[in-house]
Amino acid sequence: MNDWIRKDFFRFASFVFILAGILAFSGPVQGAEKVLKIGAPLPLTGPLSPEGQKQVQGYDLWAETANKAGGVKVGSERYKVEIVYNDYQSNTPRAVQLAEKLITEDKVNFLFSPFGSGATKAASGVSEKYGMPTIAATASSEEVYNQGYKFLFGTFTPNPTLTEPLSDIVKAKVPQVKKVAILARNDLFPLAIAQCADVSAKKRGFNVVFFEKYAIGTMDHASALTQIRAAQPEWIFATGYINDLILIRKQMGDLKITAPVVTMIAGPAYKEFTDAAGPLAENVSSASWWHPAVRYKGIDVFGSTENYNKIFQEKYKFIPDYAQASASSVGAIFQIAIEKAGSLDRKKVRDTLAELNVTTFWGDVKFGPTGQIISLKPPVFQIQKGTQVVIYPTEIAQAQFQIGVK
Amino acid sequence: MLAAVLSRRRSLSEHISMLYLQVLLNGLVLGGLYACIAAGFSLVWGVLNVINILHGTFIVIGSYAAYFAYVYFDIHPLVSIPIAAVILFFIGYALQSGVINKVVAAPVLTTLTLTFGLDLFLNNLLIVAFKADYRKVTLENPLGVLSLSGITVPIDRLAAMALALLLTGLLFWVLDASRVGRAIVAVRMDREAAALMGVKVKKIYALTFAIGAVMAGAAGSLMSLIYPISPLNSGIFLGKAFIICVLGGLGSVPGVMVGGLALGVVESFGALAFGPEHAVTLSFIILILFLLFRPTGIMGKRGFQ
Repeated sequence: MNDWIRKDFFRFASFVFILAGILAFSGPVQGAEKVLKIGAPLPLTGPLSPEGQKQVQGYDLWAETANKAGGVKVGSERYKVEIVYNDYQSNTPRAVQLAEKLITEDKVNFLFSPFGSGATKAASGVSEKYGMPTIAATASSEEVYNQGYKFLFGTFTPNPTLTEPLSDIVKAKVPQVKKVAILARNDLFPLAIAQCADVSAKKRGFNVVFFEKYAIGTMDHASALTQIRAAQPEWIFATGYINDLILIRKQMGDLKITAPVVTMIAGPAYKEFTDAAGPLAENVSSASWWHPAVRYKGIDVFGSTENYNKIFQEKYKFIPDYAQASASSVGAIFQIAIEKAGSLDRKKVRDTLAELNVTTFWGDVKFGPTGQIISLKPPVFQIQKGTQVVIYPTEIAQAQFQIGVK
Repeated sequence: MLAAVLSRRRSLSEHISMLYLQVLLNGLVLGGLYACIAAGFSLVWGVLNVINILHGTFIVIGSYAAYFAYVYFDIHPLVSIPIAAVILFFIGYALQSGVINKVVAAPVLTTLTLTFGLDLFLNNLLIVAFKADYRKVTLENPLGVLSLSGITVPIDRLAAMALALLLTGLLFWVLDASRVGRAIVAVRMDREAAALMGVKVKKIYALTFAIGAVMAGAAGSLMSLIYPISPLNSGIFLGKAFIICVLGGLGSVPGVMVGGLALGVVESFGALAFGPEHAVTLSFIILILFLLFRPTGIMGKRGFQ
């Protein structure tokens, strides 16, 4: 009997000894590896997954760059960045549930918004309920920000900041434009931008002769385009996502529709559009919140737009677009706010974000009273000889606006 | 004065009739495209009584085959149609003989759930392999458009219509004139009796499913010229195939062609009359109406004959 007790005691003692050993070795490592967790509910599968993947690329690049530089400095300590991804399968109600799960179960320190204005608006109530500072990388509609919430911030300026300079350029440089046709995807952002285009055009005395919406998942635009052809507009403005706009541009070619100006938002900002549309992409104009040709020197972890482009291309072997850059910028902005606040306290970080007035690789960052950025000047660009060139703002313009889309 | 008014009126009415003619042609070539999408789906549903949710993904695989054949080997998508078809034949045959045949005698809901699950798996596999990015075959020398006094018809869509006609014609001939075809029809009419006559039912099932996949692959190859390619398109193709089959009538070879053309023309004029945002709604309303009042479709009959 005693023998058994002795044996058990010996086993127990060995177990404690080994455990103590493991803890002793892991102890200092754990101490050095304080982790800053940021939740990212994203559409990693389903129809919005191409957009979701772009966000992942942007967030990952920031996390990697910040960690390489020693992590995020909070007071005297350094925190390693960890992004907790949750896939909401392009299903907005699920995005809201996952935002709550990330806060309550995964105990993330801060949150990135889901993709796009619709899901961001839906999930913003959760952030507000838990007092969780949240930055949206891809929400531009003012309806998202004017809910009176205090914890939501966003890096996209309101939609008219895209359509106003475009209309100014057309008015100034293409005098033959009198009639405008607008074809919009019936979806929150594409429709909102089309409505802004309508307002901007009418404000400058253009006659909007055609304004129609098409349903999500439309496989054919021939009827709408035939009507546009009959209306003979000088400016065709189409909104949608890459697949819609590639198809619309292809069918415009099929119907031999030409116009002095063709503007498409948001496809041409992506390289995939130029690749897929081929010669048809020539002279298509567009606008977005950022372009790799902009040049800013920032206090963020990337330092400058040039450096951002460089490390992005080293990692992914292609040029970033505004979606990836915005995702990286929201991480970099959180980092600046946390380091300035010197704390992970949600309220302190929120207050620092609200007062922030800095320059980053993304541009000047100052949030307005609603939380939406007010300091950014979105560039207008055009596809010329197969590449995107910046037309506006003039200080970074790479080329003159070209008239005529065939 | 009067002459000027009359001439303006005449030119306006000419203008309007040209618009309608163009919309009609748009609808017809769109219909050809739709028929192309739905042909294989109708065969599998009509003969095996399997609602093949994988059909859209098969089309996408065909598109990828054409895309990579063009990008890496410079093979024109019209030439790579047989390549895509062969790839899909093997995928289809393997899936039916290895997996679906195990439950093919079960109620339609079981096979539907199975193909739904297989589709989730295969579609996500495509996303992992090729990402969800949109690609497109952009020909150095585009096929161009036929244009006659202001009316234009894209040649790639005409080719789709020709392919749909060819595929359905070929299928009709195979079912009608070949031994395999007669065996397929026999199995559809009475499985037990066909088995007693010495028809290897499971093999015929696998073959039928593979022929359906071949048609999807051929359609996909052609679609690569028209639509951006992404695994995300599979649901859209499947939705159209479903409506066309109900509209044209299950188990009818010409039904696919009629259903496709009808849907194309209705959507085209629907978009003109009610605005493009209602074109898709309109096609689903027609689906519901047909299910309610004429579930056999325009040309439907039991069995693929």
